[in-house]
This record gives sequence, structure tokens and C-alpha cells, in this order.
Amino acid sequence: MLLENIKSEYNQYKNQAEESAFFQLREKAFAEFDKSGFPTIKNEEWKYTNLKSIFDKNFKSTCVSSASVKNLLVDSLFNSIKANKLVFVNGSFNPELSSIIEKDSAIVISNLAKARKENTIVFDAHFGNYAKIENESLNAMNTALMSDGAFVYVPSNKKVENPIIIINVVDANDMNVLSQPRNLIILEKNAEACIVESYISVGVNASFINVVNEIYVNENAHLEHYKIQQQTGESYQNNYTQIFQEANTNINQVTLTLDGTMVRNNLHFYMNGKNCDTLLYGLYITEGSNHIDNHTRVDHAMPNCQSNELYKGIMKDKSTAVFNGKIMVHLDAQKTNAYQRNQNVLLDPEASINTKPQLEIFADDVKCTHGATIGQLDEEPMFYLRSRGIPEDVARKMLLNAFADDIAEKIKIPELVGLLEQLIEEKL
Amino acid sequence: MSENQEVDIIDEVISQDYKYGFSTDIEMETAPMGLSEEIVRFISAKKNEPEWLLEWRLKAYRYWLTLKEPTWQNFRYPKVNYQDIIFYAAPKQKITLDSLDQVDPELLKTFEKLGISLTEQKRLTGVAVDAVFDSVSIATTFKDQLKEKGVIFCAISEAVHEHPELVRKYLGSVVPATDNYYAALNSAVFSDGSFVYIPKGVRCPMELSTYFRINAENTGQFERTLIIADDNSYVSYLEGCTAPMRDENQLHAAVVELVTHDHAEIKYSTVQNWYPGDKEGKGGIYNFVTKRGICEGSHSKISWTQVETGSAITWKYPSCILKGDYSTGEFFSVAVTNNHQLADTGTKMVHIGKHTKSRIVSKGISAGKSHNTYRGLVKVNKKAEKSRNHTQCDSMLIGDRSGAHTFPYIEVNNNTSQVEHEASTSKIGEDQLFYCNQRGIGTEEAIGLIVNGFCKEVLNQLPMEFAVEAQKLLAVSLEGSVG
Repeated sequence: MLLENIKSEYNQYKNQAEESAFFQLREKAFAEFDKSGFPTIKNEEWKYTNLKSIFDKNFKSTCVSSASVKNLLVDSLFNSIKANKLVFVNGSFNPELSSIIEKDSAIVISNLAKARKENTIVFDAHFGNYAKIENESLNAMNTALMSDGAFVYVPSNKKVENPIIIINVVDANDMNVLSQPRNLIILEKNAEACIVESYISVGVNASFINVVNEIYVNENAHLEHYKIQQQTGESYQNNYTQIFQEANTNINQVTLTLDGTMVRNNLHFYMNGKNCDTLLYGLYITEGSNHIDNHTRVDHAMPNCQSNELYKGIMKDKSTAVFNGKIMVHLDAQKTNAYQRNQNVLLDPEASINTKPQLEIFADDVKCTHGATIGQLDEEPMFYLRSRGIPEDVARKMLLNAFADDIAEKIKIPELVGLLEQLIEEKL
Repeated sequence: MSENQEVDIIDEVISQDYKYGFSTDIEMETAPMGLSEEIVRFISAKKNEPEWLLEWRLKAYRYWLTLKEPTWQNFRYPKVNYQDIIFYAAPKQKITLDSLDQVDPELLKTFEKLGISLTEQKRLTGVAVDAVFDSVSIATTFKDQLKEKGVIFCAISEAVHEHPELVRKYLGSVVPATDNYYAALNSAVFSDGSFVYIPKGVRCPMELSTYFRINAENTGQFERTLIIADDNSYVSYLEGCTAPMRDENQLHAAVVELVTHDHAEIKYSTVQNWYPGDKEGKGGIYNFVTKRGICEGSHSKISWTQVETGSAITWKYPSCILKGDYSTGEFFSVAVTNNHQLADTGTKMVHIGKHTKSRIVSKGISAGKSHNTYRGLVKVNKKAEKSRNHTQCDSMLIGDRSGAHTFPYIEVNNNTSQVEHEASTSKIGEDQLFYCNQRGIGTEEAIGLIVNGFCKEVLNQLPMEFAVEAQKLLAVSLEGSVG
């Protein structure tokens, strides 16, 4: 069903499209998608995540949005936070709900459709360069049929004063929604920005959101990048992020997955210059029969780079989680330091976790470690708390909160951290 | 005697013997090249096998035909042409030399470094051994001792006739003929191998080793080993030896099956040092082995220890199925690769029973242009309450063209289990080398020393005399990797 819908949508687009390089790219992407189809569990990268359940649902792209979206935004985490906000409803830009407070006119914070016309040079130089479509059929599908998305351009030596929040809302009140946003973020030399991606949803129907993010960070730039996923209801998400780093760049990336029927994150870093420093943090809390899959990949292509990864998970009920972290140290990427850790707590007998921390190393002068643990809460801290008269359930909550907050605290927007910690506490 | 002359003599001797082997030994028969149902029947008939075994082989063969060679491994190799292989040849008579002077001096040098006794050197190189020291006589005394205890230790082809009920019950029970491509191939054409049965309550009085098995000294290309430890028994089994083994067969696809019953324990140690190919990576053995043990009974234990230094490609995952409650699985491995060698090895620990424990220690050392991969699975089933695993895999890199890779799979479906995995990759510290150099220890020797320290945890698991040889072997394998 989904496949047919996509094909007919593409044909519709094709009939009215104008001949351009952009159209050519889409043609290529569609051909690629048509060739490989949806990934199946026979594909090693999709071994633990079965997309089968979404194929026979009647997902359709739509730009309809109802009044309930406004209320949803008021209730969201970001209502009280002073920031530039870009709101996309079912993949379409919504200027009324968005607000840009950045005063520096050299910094572009807008939507992709507009940027393609107004910032053509930058757009053409970067679009489609980082998120590969070969053997990534969902990326190809996004490239062929993407609706709109955020466009951020920070020129050299500029700093974006306030965070930029990209809010993706899925409004599934009327039908099963297919949404394919596409974001392009470019930080030039010495630039600095803090970007938050948020995913929320409303409505009784199912939704499938297939996102591709392309992020280019030029020399000496600093990026704070957070992803907060809290889609409720029957919601499926595939989120692909490719971050391309030049020399001396510094990135702090945090991914919080707090809800969603099925969420798959692909987070890829490519270090194309020396002395890069990358931090990756992730927290996933699953409940019910939810399934959350985090795939990360760090490519150390150049010497003297550092990466440090920490992903934590708490699994409840019958939920499942997957972690697959890959560190790839290329030939001659000497003096690489790469660390990776994955810690999981299984709370209920039916919950499960599949973890696969991988190292592929082709250079000798490196220090790489990875570790994975799966288990329960430590008995000793528990005993410590209980011996001080704290009841078991309270102690348990305290310990779980401490475990989770560790990651939430890596976000450098203090107001947001407070709200998130509250949210995590409620969830646990 | 110049080196050329030496080679000439060896060549002469070899060709002579070859001629001899074919002209006089009429009884020796070789199957036609290639693989077909006829060949499978031929092998079975040669061995005078019962009907059920022939059927079993044929079933495996037919299944094998439906399979494709796996491609998920982390290396590439030229395709093996199965129609180019002779699948059955009665044991060839070994070339007999008159004295050690006729043996390749390079080989002798290696023996010396390994500290292998003179008698053993002779045996390994095929020099006729003095009658008194004949390994046959030693082996016979051992055989008597084993017999007294009721231990069965013989060739599997012999066991098929003498203990058909045991072989039939256990053969293929751990590694079914349909398990994978190479296991199916082995099941169809396996030539010979060892069979061990330890009766209830017996602690095997000595380390069993293929060394003492007289009638199957030539390790076949498709070996099959089956070891069964009945209730409350214990056995330690050694496979291979530290000495370099020259072998004509390129592909080795052996199958090893272990079964332990209640409170029984099997300790299986392997030292593999087959021909790794020359410095350019030409030639060498493909070692594609399926090894698996099942802890059938409660409180049983299986322990794998391996030191892999040879073969052009090593591709094997000795595994444990922990079915019995409170059973334990262990895996200790050292894999050393140099020049163009490739190793993709690791283990699978499948926790099925309650309170099962497993421990994995893997040390990989890659030098030259070689690649070393650890690939492992730890799977905890829903019912495997309170099970426990700890995995540690460390890699060491020597030289900037080598690679070390880790692919652990951890699947946990139970919230009372604890699983830990840690891995690290590093190179030999400059300061460590400097420390040794400064005290008058040459760089090469120092590397041997450091590598040995790195592997200590695993080497300690090997039986005493083996451990000493294995330590020296590590240093020898890494020769020429610096500078």
C-alpha cells in the first residue's frame, strides 16, 4: 500500500516538475528507491528492526493542519523558551506558528523551499552531498519526495544568539500521514549555533515520518545539536542525520527518544579534517510494545580526532530497543581517540535489548574502547538508600532518574534541561 | 651444503617417494576429482559404513547443493572450486627421511625456537624415529590406561563400527548437517576424526590429544570430532600442535561437536599453526571450522581455548549452547595475524538454562598487512533467568597497515540477566618498548615479551607444556613485523 502511494505521488510530482538539476537529483533518487525498495530484516543494518508493519498502511502526504496543532505547541516543551522557532506541520512550513528573533540579517534561518530560490549558491553547494542515497533507500525516498524543511546558514565568524528550534508536528487527525521533512544546516568557519530538532504529534491516526538531516560544519565551527523525539500515538519515524565535519570542529550531539511506536535513528559523523572533537549522547526510554533503534556511525577519516559516545537505555513492559554503534578508523587516521559506551537497564521480564557496538580500525596508533552493559540497577546504591530509610520504590525512582538525567544534562539550554528532567521523571 | 643443493635433495626425495607411492601401493585409492553423489557414496563405501550413515551423508550433500557460500564475513577470498578437490584419498604414506640433516633448515630453526624435543622434531618432519622412542609404543601404554577407565578414544570411523549406538545418537546433534555451508559439506564428505566418550563419573587420567591417536595421524581436510562427557566426568582435549604444519590442502572445513551431561566438563584446547602463505600472501590454508558444544546437563561446563597463529584465513566461532541450568561456557582466544593473514573469529554463547554463566576473553594481535576480527554473539533467552556474561576483547595493532575489528552482537531478552562487554584497541606503547630497549632487550624480543604479557590471561588456560610452547610460538609468528 505504502509503496503504491509513494509511486503515484512521485508520478504526480514528475508530471508537473520543471527540468532542473534538482529534478535530476530527484529522478536519480527515485530510481534508486525503486531499485532497492524498503529495507528488510535480511539487510544486516536492519536485522533487528522490521518495517513490515508500516508497508500495508495507507500513509499519504498532506498539508492539512488542524487547530489542535496550536494547542499542542502551547503545551510543548519549548513554549517558554526564548528561541528561533521553525514549525513544520506534516512536513510543510507554517510561517504563522514560526518566529525568528535573530537580528543579524547575514544569518539565514528559513525553510528549504525558500532557500532553494533565494540562497541558490549555498543550496547547490551542499544539498544532497552528505546523505548518500546509494543503498539507503529511505534516504532516496526522502530525496525524491521531500516536502520542505529547515534551512540554516551561519556565515563565517557569526554566532546565532538564541537556539534554533525546528519543530516537526505530525497532525494525524484526518488520515494516516506520511511526512518527509528535509533539513539542511550549514555552519561556516568559526561559526557557532545551537540547533534543536523536535518531533511531536497529535491525532488518532497513524503517522510515518521519514526525515533526512544534512549538516555541514566548516573549520573551527562549534555546533550544539539536540534531537528530542516525543511522538505519541501510532507513530513511526526514520531519522537520518549526516554530519560532515571539517578540521578543528567541535560538536555536542544529544538524542533523546522518549516516545514513538517505532523509531529508527541513523546518526552519522564524518571527520574530514584534523583535530575534530565530537561528543554523542543518547537516551532512550521505551514502554508498551515500542521499538527504538539507534544506529550511530563515526568515521575517523583524519588523524588527531576524538570522539566520545555514551548511549543509555531504559526498557519497560514488552518494549525492545536496539543499539548499533560503529566506530570506523580509516587508514592513516593516526592518534585517534574513540570511546563508546552503551548502558541498558531492563525493567520488565518481557523487555529486550539488542546491542552491537562495533569497532573497525585500520590505523595502528589509536586508542579505541567500547563497552556495553545490560542489567538491572546496581544493588549497592540501592542498599545505601534503603539503609537510610528510603522506601524501595522511591529509591528505585531516584536511581533511574539519576541514570537518565546524566544524558539530559548534556543539553546546554538550562530551562530545557529542567523541563526534560521533569518529563523523564513522569515517564519513569 | 648450499641452500640450492639442499632444496634439490629435498625435491629429489619428495619426487622419489611420490613415484614410489603410486607404483607399489596398489591398494591406495583416490577418488576422482570433484564432488557428486557418487563421490559421497564412494567415501561411505570405502569406509564400509552402515546404511544410516550413508543416508545421513547424502542428506547433507543434497542440502549443501541448495546452499550458497556465505558472504557476510569481514574478508574476501578467491572462490573455492569444489570440483577441483579430491575428496577422498586413503592416507598417503609420509615421506621418510633418514636424518634431520635432510630437513629444511628453516623448519629446524623454528623447532629450536619453540623448544621442541629432538624426537618430536623427527616425528613432525617425518624422519623415521628410533624404535624405542617410537610414539606408537608410548601411545599403546596410554591406550591401556584409558581402557582400564572405560574411556573410548578412537578414530570416528572405528567408532562407527564399534560403538554405533553412541555415534548415531550424538553425531550431528550439536552441529546438524544442515547447520551451515561448510558443516553441510563436512557432513557429506568427512574423512575421519576423533571420537571420545568419557563414561559416568570418570575423570580422564591424562590430556587427550590427536598426538597419541595412531591410526589417524594425518589430519584430514574434512575432519570430524565428537566428544561426549557423561555425568560427572571430565576430559581435557588438545588439538593441533605448535609446530608449523605443511599441508597440501587449501580448504579445511572441520566440524567439532562437544556434549556434556550433568556436572561434566570438557576442556578443549587448540593450537593452530598451519601454513599461512608467504610474505606476499600467496598460498596458505583456509581454515573454515564449525565448532560447537552443548551443555546438556545441569552444572556442566565447556571451555574453549584457542591459539590461532597459522592459516591464511581463519574463520571460526567455537560456541557454547548453555542448555542445562547452572551450566558454564568459556572461551579464551588468542589470534595472531601477520603479513597478509586474515582472521575472523570469536564465539557464540547462547543462554537457555537458568543461572547460566559465560565468559569470553579474546585477544587479537594484528601485524603487517593482516586483519583480525572478533565477532561474537551473546544471546540470553527469555527463560534464562539470572544468567551472566562477561566479555572482554582486546586488540593490539603492530604496524600502520594492519586492521583490528570488533563486531559483538548482544541480544538480551530477560531482565534478571547481566551482560557486560568491553573492548579496547591499542598499539604497543612506545614507552614500553623504550623501557625494554633501555635494558638491553632488542625491539623484536621486546615485542614478543609485551605480546606475551597481553595474552597471559588466555595462555594460562592452556595445559602446562602447551602453554610454554605457545608463548614461544607467539614471538615466532610476529618475527619480522617490526622495522
